[in-house]
Amino acid sequence: MDIQDTGYLTIALPKGKLFGISSELFAKIGYTADGLYEKSRKLVITNDEKKIRFIITKTADVPTYVEYGAADIGIIGKDVLMESGKDVYELLDLGFGRCHLMMAVPQSQKRAKLTSYAHTRVATKFPHIAERFFNSKGMQMEYIKLNGSIELGPIVGLSESIVDIVETGTTLRENNLEEIAYIMDATARLIANRVSFKMKFERIRQMTEDLRTILESGEDK
Amino acid sequence: MENQEFVLEIPYGTRDFLPTEAATKRAIETGFAELFAQWGYDEIVTPTIEFLDTLTIGSGSALEPHMFKFFDKNNRTLALRHEMTTPIARVVASRLRDEVLPIKLSYISSVFRYEQAQTGRQCEFYQAGVELIGSASVAADAEVIALAIEGLRRAGLKDFQICLGQVAFINGIMHQVHLTDEQQEKIKTAMEKRNFVDLDNIIDHIDLPKNTRDILKKIPLLHGREEMLEKAYAMAMSEQSRRALDNLCEIYRLLKVYGAADYVSFDLGVIRDFNYYTGMVFEAYSPVLGFPLCGGGRYDSMLSDFGSFCPATGFALGIERILLALEREGLPTPSIKKDVYVAYAEGKAADAITKISEVRAQGKIAELALTAKTLAEAEKYQQSKDYGELVYIK
Repeated sequence: MDIQDTGYLTIALPKGKLFGISSELFAKIGYTADGLYEKSRKLVITNDEKKIRFIITKTADVPTYVEYGAADIGIIGKDVLMESGKDVYELLDLGFGRCHLMMAVPQSQKRAKLTSYAHTRVATKFPHIAERFFNSKGMQMEYIKLNGSIELGPIVGLSESIVDIVETGTTLRENNLEEIAYIMDATARLIANRVSFKMKFERIRQMTEDLRTILESGEDK
Repeated sequence: MENQEFVLEIPYGTRDFLPTEAATKRAIETGFAELFAQWGYDEIVTPTIEFLDTLTIGSGSALEPHMFKFFDKNNRTLALRHEMTTPIARVVASRLRDEVLPIKLSYISSVFRYEQAQTGRQCEFYQAGVELIGSASVAADAEVIALAIEGLRRAGLKDFQICLGQVAFINGIMHQVHLTDEQQEKIKTAMEKRNFVDLDNIIDHIDLPKNTRDILKKIPLLHGREEMLEKAYAMAMSEQSRRALDNLCEIYRLLKVYGAADYVSFDLGVIRDFNYYTGMVFEAYSPVLGFPLCGGGRYDSMLSDFGSFCPATGFALGIERILLALEREGLPTPSIKKDVYVAYAEGKAADAITKISEVRAQGKIAELALTAKTLAEAEKYQQSKDYGELVYIK
């Protein structure tokens, strides 16, 4: 089996919270394969009848697989996509996985205004997005890249603030953090490799339309 | 980190071509050089270094952050060329301005862009291409597309596809619906990146009739074979857009005669940077590579940036990307063929030189031993260097 085999459409799905809803959505338009579940030990799951291949990757790697054409199609959160800066086509806003990126600080040490935080340290998983945001406010910051538990940063004195994604705000409240600046909204997106989009145009277009129809009918809920 | 062997590094984004790689690259380049010459294109060589102001004239400024820059003795800013079209336009607008048109030029050169190194593209990479200057005719556009296709075919690529579009189609539609420059810019950027999510958002926020919105949203999906053009005619509201489609039809008709039409499909979305191109545009793709192999199009306003109005069309092929696609298609790379090793016993050097001169005159690749050797030594060397034949003079 050759991953480059052009008769197949390869779809990259991220592990984690988007996996379940993504694979169910694809199943609704007939894109599924035996053994497609998150904890699968197989890295590549193939449906030979429909000429589809799924690969399950770490969330942050989906844009990379798609940019290089190792996967034709992928599903990924807009936050991760923006942060990666990868050159891929963004075909559809899938609407789920909704969250927003924001800046938060410890409630007890809240400063008068946003610019009072200039030249302080900010802990984040999204240094590129954060930098673009602060640059647009004319602020220079010191970015500390963390890979998880960002809220810990200000608590242990690693940073003055954090930039992170928020869904419900529970984690912020539990850690006595308060949102002081909104940065952007993010939802899951359907992305495609730029060459695949052209070489497999009809298939990808049809798939996008089918997904759009499902989403608009509200069947995904 | 056990291996502490001393290796000198090379700068980011550069590479060495070791002999077998260099031979493969040379073979491809020689093929292109012959092909371009057969089609009546003359080679041109321009300096690797230009003044930054020359390279950024007109629309080149978008790439300015990606140029390698430094200063000359008078503190003028210099840059390594980031493509060949601008330097060639400079030459044509100045030193060749009295030539009989059209001027047909070709090049095989390295160009430099300070970017993230990616598949088949380092910061220094090699391009082969042509510029056909001084003709606005459909035949000129058809010729460069046919030549690009022939180039990829001769290079040995089995499977590739050309996507052909037309800038004026979108411009005509935008013009017709009276969008501001800023709105046009946003829409074109979203179209170029095929960011359908942004595109839909932008269009939904502009006050337009629903019908117009639907058309704008559908443009990036206008992709297909000849029959797709029929659909596009139904959407072409302005004369400019219709003429753009007429132009594509005529180019396609000529490509059929060239026997190249099977490789061509149409894509009326924004394919390449549309500030630069003014007419047809195209890219070539291989299913085994996630990046385009080739790009080109008509750029009628570039020469006027240099003060001499002149229509022009051309393309550039990415040599490393073609090499990579060939390798992934499983095409055997040509090995360096070595024919004869001439070695000699003590005192027979003169005879050996006479012999090897004869062998070389027959067109064979031959190496001469540089010291006297025993037969056993000579045989060992012949095998290690993979020579087909050993001539031992005793």
